[in-house]
Amino acid sequence: MSTGQITAPGAPSPSGEAAARPGPRTGAHSARRRRSLSSRRALSFYVFAGPWVLGFLALTAFPLGYALWLSLTNADGLSNNSRFVGLDNYREVFTDPETMSSLARTGIFTAITVPLTLAAGLLLAILVNQPIRARGVFRTLLYLPAVVPPVGAALTFKLIFDRDSGAANGALDALNLDGISWLMDPYARWVLVTLTLWGAGNAMIVSLAGLQDVPKELYEAARIDGANTWQSFSRITLPLLSPVLFFQVITGIIAAVQSFLPLLISLDPTPRGVTAVPEGNYLFMIHVFAQYFANGRYGYASAMLWVLFLIIVAITFLVFKLSKGAVFYAVDPEPDKQSRPRTLGGK
Amino acid sequence: MVFRRRSAVYMLLVGALVLFLGPFAWLLDTALKAPDELRALPVHWWPHHPNLSNFRDALTHIDYFGYARNSLTIATVYAVLVTLASAWAGYGFARLHAPGKKLVFNVLLSTMMLPQILTLIPTYLLFAKLHLTNTYVPWVLWGLCGAPYLIFLFRQFFSNMPKELEEAAIIDGCGQIRIFWRIFLPQSWPVIATSLILSFSWTWGDYIAPSLLLDDAHTTLAVKLAYGYVNAHGSPLGNLVAAGAVMYVVPVLALFLILQRGFVAGVATSGLK
Repeated sequence: MSTGQITAPGAPSPSGEAAARPGPRTGAHSARRRRSLSSRRALSFYVFAGPWVLGFLALTAFPLGYALWLSLTNADGLSNNSRFVGLDNYREVFTDPETMSSLARTGIFTAITVPLTLAAGLLLAILVNQPIRARGVFRTLLYLPAVVPPVGAALTFKLIFDRDSGAANGALDALNLDGISWLMDPYARWVLVTLTLWGAGNAMIVSLAGLQDVPKELYEAARIDGANTWQSFSRITLPLLSPVLFFQVITGIIAAVQSFLPLLISLDPTPRGVTAVPEGNYLFMIHVFAQYFANGRYGYASAMLWVLFLIIVAITFLVFKLSKGAVFYAVDPEPDKQSRPRTLGGK
Repeated sequence: MVFRRRSAVYMLLVGALVLFLGPFAWLLDTALKAPDELRALPVHWWPHHPNLSNFRDALTHIDYFGYARNSLTIATVYAVLVTLASAWAGYGFARLHAPGKKLVFNVLLSTMMLPQILTLIPTYLLFAKLHLTNTYVPWVLWGLCGAPYLIFLFRQFFSNMPKELEEAAIIDGCGQIRIFWRIFLPQSWPVIATSLILSFSWTWGDYIAPSLLLDDAHTTLAVKLAYGYVNAHGSPLGNLVAAGAVMYVVPVLALFLILQRGFVAGVATSGLK
């Protein structure tokens, strides 16, 4: 339990259990009165959670079931006579070389971008956590690219890496080097990685929030004991930051396997053209889009997405298992954070 | 020693800043160039005759204001509704208890792992059957249900508020709805700000849902921007793309800069750890 809960008696536990206890004790009221109060509370929980539950049933659970059904049919959106094909679509997912190679590419993309983003975010967070001037300004400006909508970011990178008018080839030209077709193979994948890393400000903010929770006294004590910078980083900062880094690994993987940025960087001027994606950037999601939009294969696209979902669940489970022992919780995973609101311009 | 370390920090930070802000500079630079300068060799680092006509052309080449209005409508309607609905549900998860709550909460958390497009394909077919495509009703419906991530955000925040707040109100005979509306909601402005920014920018930046659900006339700026700027021969007009993208991105950046204090406080309270 965090100290915040010890010093604040009566504060509800994070899961809201405390709020469930019968309300104020008003003298010699009977147990019946208390029971009716708590059943009124139970009712009010459903009044509050109800809209989400209904929405979940109508807009998530039902479409999910529908997606499951679609994945067992050869629905194509054109003809009305789609029929049940059993597990054919799933068999195709695992035998179609294009699906498998796009899945492998997605795995590599994830394995490259997640650690890089994590490392870049941590480095930036450490830098903007130093006692320097204008660090609030640095924090804000470094975070800014993370706010740019994907389409805006992709268009910007298309302009920079344009073969004729882009800054990248302009710089090469100034060095008397030949220009490169950046948005084609084999370079396109690195443009994609760079574009993904441009949003590392997000990782910076999350790591920064974690860094600010590390008690300063620990560093002082380590210094008195003669620890150098590397030692205090590896023995204090990293262990205390591990839950935050763990969180980022999980969310990072979930986001990366679903990335459809290649679609936006290589989008044809022709509406919805998805055929022009270079092979290096032909990720799983792009394959789903191609099957869905270009070929209208709703059934097959749904099967692919179900497989992706199961892979996400499996990876998340695996990361949880593997990180046991590596993730160090000094305090309750849900400490009282309200007492320390943080801002980009913080002290 | 301390001095040297501090200047190393500054050097690294300035280097990072150049890398992170460079793309914005090139976007703005391109937006100020004349069409023939885009083909100039060697590349013009600065526009030789910078003028703002690209911005005017970007507004007229496509029905920019029309698409911007579509984006603005969807994003505003969704952001306001989803923030209220998420606060509403978040209050329930934070302060109330009932049988089955744990199950409902676990379902809520696991929906965050769902690839959004998995439900989007059948949702599209469903909405098409109900004749709701090319309308903004789907965004109203999505908004009314709240979003799991935002519900979680509000739940974390409401969980941390002292219990005395509601006890006094219960003694005064307030119902839960009044307590939520009069006591908890007004105190949660940092989360409200965060939720509004996040949900607005999700929708403003979303490409997939509008390209599935909306036709060319009803679609959003995000979709139109991606392929709308071509000349009669189908070649992309880079300088107009840049000008259009500047006008598309700047409102989001401005919104973030205005509200960032509340935004980061909100992210920090969201239980990221």
